Amino acid sequence: MNELKIVGKSIKKIDAKDKVDGTAVYPQDIYLENMAFGVTIRSTRPHAYIKVDTKEAEKIDGVIKVFTYKDVPGKNHHGVVLKDHEVFASKKVRRIGDPIAFIVAETKEIAEYAKNFVKVEYEEIPAVFDPEEAMKEESPKVHDRDNVFYHFKIRRGDVERAFLECDVIVENVYKVPMVDHAFLQPEAGVAYLDEDGRVVVIASTQYPHFDQEEIAESLGVNKDMVRVLTPAVGGAFGGREDITVQIHLAIAALTLKRPVKTIYSREESFLAHSKRHAMKMYYKTGALKDGTLLALEAKIIGDSGAYASWAMNVLRKAAVHATGPYYIPNVKVDSFAVYTNNPFTGAMRGFGATQVPIAYEQQIDILAEKLGLTPIEIRLKNCFREGSETSTGQILEGFIPLERCIEELKSF
Amino acid sequence: MNLKKIDVNINGKDYCLEVEENLRLIDLLRDKLHLTGTKEGCGEGECGACTVIMDGEIVNSCLVLAFQADKCRIITIEGIEDEIIKNSFIEEGAVQCGFCTPGMVLAAKSLLDKNLNPNEEEIREAISGNLCRCTGYNKIVSAIKKAASIKRGGDSE
Ligand code: FES
Ligand code: FES
Repeated sequence: MNELKIVGKSIKKIDAKDKVDGTAVYPQDIYLENMAFGVTIRSTRPHAYIKVDTKEAEKIDGVIKVFTYKDVPGKNHHGVVLKDHEVFASKKVRRIGDPIAFIVAETKEIAEYAKNFVKVEYEEIPAVFDPEEAMKEESPKVHDRDNVFYHFKIRRGDVERAFLECDVIVENVYKVPMVDHAFLQPEAGVAYLDEDGRVVVIASTQYPHFDQEEIAESLGVNKDMVRVLTPAVGGAFGGREDITVQIHLAIAALTLKRPVKTIYSREESFLAHSKRHAMKMYYKTGALKDGTLLALEAKIIGDSGAYASWAMNVLRKAAVHATGPYYIPNVKVDSFAVYTNNPFTGAMRGFGATQVPIAYEQQIDILAEKLGLTPIEIRLKNCFREGSETSTGQILEGFIPLERCIEELKSF
Repeated sequence: MNLKKIDVNINGKDYCLEVEENLRLIDLLRDKLHLTGTKEGCGEGECGACTVIMDGEIVNSCLVLAFQADKCRIITIEGIEDEIIKNSFIEEGAVQCGFCTPGMVLAAKSLLDKNLNPNEEEIREAISGNLCRCTGYNKIVSAIKKAASIKRGGDSE
């Protein structure tokens, strides 16, 4: 075989030179002629009806306009799957951090100062922070619907009968918390109108094509009137898949016909973007004396916070991975995505496949201990191999070197 | 707001400037002089993305007020011509999103200016004020080792 030109070689990243020189351009590094600056007013309450008064702020010298839901020319909504976010909260806030208004001023200092003069009146209503509480019928509703907005099921074999045949059964509950991506570059962006009157939005985003669609919908214009440019992105890890600065900037630039920039502080960045789903995982795993896994029953509850974002995909993936890389003939899994008044959760490295190993791997270790097997022995007995069937019926073909990987671990 | 007059040398160039009393050094560099290689990751001295060299020592420019730089020599990433350090970062794969990179390069520069034979612990200590969310640090450490070795006249190992 000819020697491969790329595979197996160390390739220099094409943008590395600009980055070591400090000349790579992130959105905060852009300065345009006649550029105004915007800051966002966010909810300080987790669940409340709101009334907003921007009059005082708009009187301040140097404040150009304070945007609220009334100033959204098109649809006041966005969201990667369900359109359940509002561009600006209209009647109700559903979490701490919901955007309520966007102050645009001649300078950053003026915009920051004007923040003190936007009056937000909150009428607090009961909130729910525990997803299991939120699943109950009598709990406060985050949206005008049931808090449980997604339920995914896997049914394979007969778990009830299989558990009767098991020599040992381990039952535990596992909880993992929310996690922030904490990418190093806080959100920032610039928007302006180009010569053809199109709105150009420059933002570090993972989804320029999605953003374009969502911006156009909120502006009430065709997609071809919106351009989204992605300069250098300072880390993302899933945290830049939902809209943050993009629509606010686009509305401001289109309305004011001048460039507008915004930069979030680290604190605001934490408030603005999604988190990894906190999950509560009820696990029951059963095996025969020799370590053969026979049955698994799991209930996985994902805290979606105030908005859905990618919850369906994440909770589905958590369920699909619930057995781990082990063959189990009898499986029953139920996963749920639930609205609460917590920060909203979405994509983060692994998309649901990251949480479940905390549960299934510990279950296997505990089973091994009870059966007098080593952690390696029990895994070798059950791990996926070529031709194995997963709990969703997929036959694994091709290269499945898991056995070799586990063998390698023997030397540690 | 009171203005203060300062004389400051930035990357070898002398500036005589009037700055607001509450202006941070990072804002002077970025907003007034458009030296945007200096990054703001946290604004409170945690991340080191805003690292610059001030009279030979690395500082967080988000924690220094501009007037405190009066009569000082400041070196930002734009003033670093050390191709050995920069190339080592590129070759070792120490650059991903790049937002921490200017600060990391300056921290490395400040270390190697004083110590051409740092051990692993000294390297980790030298970059302990700089957060990187992408690389996991190991490649940055090997980049600095490699640069030190080249500077000592060794080969690139
Ligand atoms: S921005 Fe100065 S330390 Fe993070
Ligand atoms: S390369 Fe992204 S933070 Fe270091």
